[in-house]
Amino acid sequence: MSILNNNPAAVDASAPELLLDQHVKYIQALDTKKNDLEYWLTEHLRVNGLYWGATALQILGHPEALDQDQIVEYLVKCQHDNGGFGGHIDHDPHILSTLSAVQVLITYDRLDAINVDKVVDYIISLQNEDGSFSGDSWGEVDTRFVFCAVMCLNLLKRLDDKRLDIPKTIEYIVRCRNFDGGFGSSPGGESHAAQVYVCVGTLTILGALNHVDADQLGWWLSERQLKNGGLNGRPEKLEDVCYSWWVLSSLSMLRRSHWIDSEKLTKFILESQDTETGGIADRPGNMPDVFHTNFGICGLSLLGYPGLVAVDPVYCMPRHVIQRIGLTDKH
Amino acid sequence: MASRHGQKKEKPESPEVLKAKQDKEAVLLREYLDLKDSLKEIVDSKKRDNDALRITTSLLRKSPDYYTIWNVRRIILKEGFLQNADDETANKIYNSELEFVQENLKLNPKSYYMWNHRRWCLEHMSQPRWDRELAMVSKFLEMDARNFHGWDYRRYIIKQLDLKDGEATDKVLERVQSEFEFTTTKISQNFSNYSAWHNRSTLLGKLAENMTEKEREATVETEFDLVKNAIYTDPEDQSAWLYELWLIGREERKISVLGASVISFHPLEIVVAFDETVKVDNAFTVSTRVDHVAVPLEGEWRATGSDSSMGSVWIFQQAPGAQYGPTIEILIFPDDVCAVRAGSSLPSAVCFELETLNQSFEDISGRLGRLVVGKNLMYDVTKRIGPVRGPDGSLETQETTPKHRVTSLTWSELLQDRVALLEREIAVVRELIEIEPDCKWPIQILSTLLSELRKTVSIESTKAKILDDECIELQEKLISIDPLRQERYEDRRTQLVFDRETLKLIKDSKKATEIEFADRFTPDLDLSMRGLTHIPMSSYFVHLHTLNLDSNAIKSTRFIRNLLNVRRLILSNNLIERLEGLQHAPSLEYLTLENNMIAKWEDVVAGFVFWREGKLGRTGGHVKVLLGSNPVVENEGGEYVLEKRWEEVGEVGIEIQWQSEELRLAEDALEAAGNDISSGTTYTEGARRVSTTAVEFAAGVSQ
Repeated sequence: MSILNNNPAAVDASAPELLLDQHVKYIQALDTKKNDLEYWLTEHLRVNGLYWGATALQILGHPEALDQDQIVEYLVKCQHDNGGFGGHIDHDPHILSTLSAVQVLITYDRLDAINVDKVVDYIISLQNEDGSFSGDSWGEVDTRFVFCAVMCLNLLKRLDDKRLDIPKTIEYIVRCRNFDGGFGSSPGGESHAAQVYVCVGTLTILGALNHVDADQLGWWLSERQLKNGGLNGRPEKLEDVCYSWWVLSSLSMLRRSHWIDSEKLTKFILESQDTETGGIADRPGNMPDVFHTNFGICGLSLLGYPGLVAVDPVYCMPRHVIQRIGLTDKH
Repeated sequence: MASRHGQKKEKPESPEVLKAKQDKEAVLLREYLDLKDSLKEIVDSKKRDNDALRITTSLLRKSPDYYTIWNVRRIILKEGFLQNADDETANKIYNSELEFVQENLKLNPKSYYMWNHRRWCLEHMSQPRWDRELAMVSKFLEMDARNFHGWDYRRYIIKQLDLKDGEATDKVLERVQSEFEFTTTKISQNFSNYSAWHNRSTLLGKLAENMTEKEREATVETEFDLVKNAIYTDPEDQSAWLYELWLIGREERKISVLGASVISFHPLEIVVAFDETVKVDNAFTVSTRVDHVAVPLEGEWRATGSDSSMGSVWIFQQAPGAQYGPTIEILIFPDDVCAVRAGSSLPSAVCFELETLNQSFEDISGRLGRLVVGKNLMYDVTKRIGPVRGPDGSLETQETTPKHRVTSLTWSELLQDRVALLEREIAVVRELIEIEPDCKWPIQILSTLLSELRKTVSIESTKAKILDDECIELQEKLISIDPLRQERYEDRRTQLVFDRETLKLIKDSKKATEIEFADRFTPDLDLSMRGLTHIPMSSYFVHLHTLNLDSNAIKSTRFIRNLLNVRRLILSNNLIERLEGLQHAPSLEYLTLENNMIAKWEDVVAGFVFWREGKLGRTGGHVKVLLGSNPVVENEGGEYVLEKRWEEVGEVGIEIQWQSEELRLAEDALEAAGNDISSGTTYTEGARRVSTTAVEFAAGVSQ
């Protein structure tokens, strides 16, 4: 069975090539920039960064480019007694870094390295009375955290935990639905493509997509594409490579990814590559970073770019990993 | 950097400039790392003094999203400064925190953690000045009118104020009104402020609840006027159009049960068709009369297709050994079904009565006359009436209400005359289209308005036809002016064409359901060359014997799962890459797939891996699939006729044979001459012959 995309899409002849080797080198070099202030200022995102880098490498077909044992060893050090992971060693636990850590460990098939029961306890402890989830013990609430919790529990096969209130979780997400069919960060919050991704993703995992009007939301999402092929996150805003993922994966879950022009989007992502250093920026001509590199590459995979490993639109992990752990895709 | 937005790549610098920069950076880096060391010391030593606080201040100025430092800072405040502070001192401390946040927000307006810290302070203050916060955030939204953190914070403040006022509803309503006016101001400053339009939508419904009919009508006028101003100013700006779309609203969709019929008597199998995909929450009640007493009939419901938990066609199969009488009743209550599309529900209970006396067909192959369409009776929506057994064995009446009704966000349903409103807005948009003929938004909205208007007339009326025809034209126009979203318009066009072309299969229903199967049975349907991208509702086709879909743009064959009676299916000249759903078409004899895009052998075989061990299928069935001019023919050795055979019930053996062009021509000639070639003789030729079981096939199929 091939892990590559089944039916590679046509690519516009005028689009630049995918700089596969350069992106691999770019990601490999990220951890060597210890003389840069930037490196230290973004320390709190280290675990997230690992997930972005590791995932991008998987999709590029170079999982060996990072030292997996070393990464697992590092991640273990980021787990706290309460089960949650911090963004870096000695950083406080947070649901965002917890999900990233779990995603990387599952990709590497190394869940054995951590205490899974404690991760589950930590996540469950963050559910609030109204079904929402807090990001950490300080109580910030956001639909992103609901998705982190539900995805994490599902990856760990613990969605059946009796302490989790699934009906209330769904109810909360539905309360965040807006006049345009999209979803916001909390009830009343404006629709935003990234929040749409997390809400549609949550409902997909929980088998509750019947709460989404796919035609209406698919329309709104398809209107995110601008003339240059790039996608924005909200009406009348600028395009950005990361929305290639948020919009496209949402459309994919709604089975409407053909509602945008994939050739033009492919071209836009490829034009946002940094031809000197490797890596992908938010838009052509800007500085690359690992976040946009990952979502650009995952976007290309979802678009069927030839030679890339197939990505799963819900989990943003290699599809073969999702299949290996037995999460059959209902999407 | 892990994530940066909008940072321009700079031109390479001269070595000297670069060196100077690096030196400067090294100094900053040293400073930062020193601060971090001090932080570690604070955490380890649990210091809660001014020094500790100062270090967090310096670090947060440099790295505002370093959330752990915010946590450390709060702990320093809680366990140190605030520990024994009186109200006044505490307030002072919180206020200086607010100042610190405010100063930094100017530099980092999108930092989640900064806004959080602000909330934390206010929530811990004895007398938070929410009014001051409201003024602050108004100022903030002047600098960036689309910052969603700002808008979120504004809604949060309003909520806190509302909570404080508790029962004083007039104050709360007053606040809704003033927030509504705030959005008016913002929108008037810039029609492109989608954040403001969005917030307006959350407020208008609340206001409308407390309006008189007259006030409501006046509000409708002002809202549509505001939109009109905006769309005439910039018809390409989507903000106001999306708001208009919401103002127009959508008539809530109702699920219709198209009909029910018996498809097999031994064992009893009943099919129920819906006009959309549904999940079943409670199994539909099936009962039969034995000695004049209604008794529940045991059995299992499942949807057709590989995912048997949802579908538009549901099949009931009786439990082995269950007895049934001359009539069967099927009852479906509103809370039994849940639509997969949001916003639709079954408006009332429906009942079908099916006769079983005339068992005119021998097997389940679906020969003519096998259909027994039930009588559709009216039932009370609010009551679950039916042969549901109570604990004492008596029949009970149970109250039910549809629980899946999704609360409509639309406020326009409060309005009296929807048709007049639609017609007026149609006129407004038409006028704009005359001025701006190549602008896509007015065309999209016009199409929506016309579709809404169509819902108010009978599907069989001339008006419906005129509306549909115009909508189809509008999609064609959209395809030409907005190629990025071409496939969406094509899908919409497909839906419209499909509705128009399938009118003879269904009719308006005067009963519990909006539409149902037509009285006259149509065995054949020709939908060739209609530009269809997909089959929007395949449950319409459960009774068809022949379906011609030649020369369309169909990509998926999943719809075949609902073609329970189809014998001949023409799908040549489409865009199919993979054969799916075939295993659920028990009556299929002849399938033409010539000139499609099937490239791999496994993508053909996948279609044959069948379901429930073929029990629903006929035994000894014989399917002929023509695969000419598909890449697979080239790839797999130049042969292209495929046959399938189910050997016997329970045995999942499939035999697949290729044939050459020559043999096919000979067969066609035989068939043309009227000879029945599908029973008995098979022509086999070629190097490959595959014979295996479903299990082996499944393992060989790439997912």
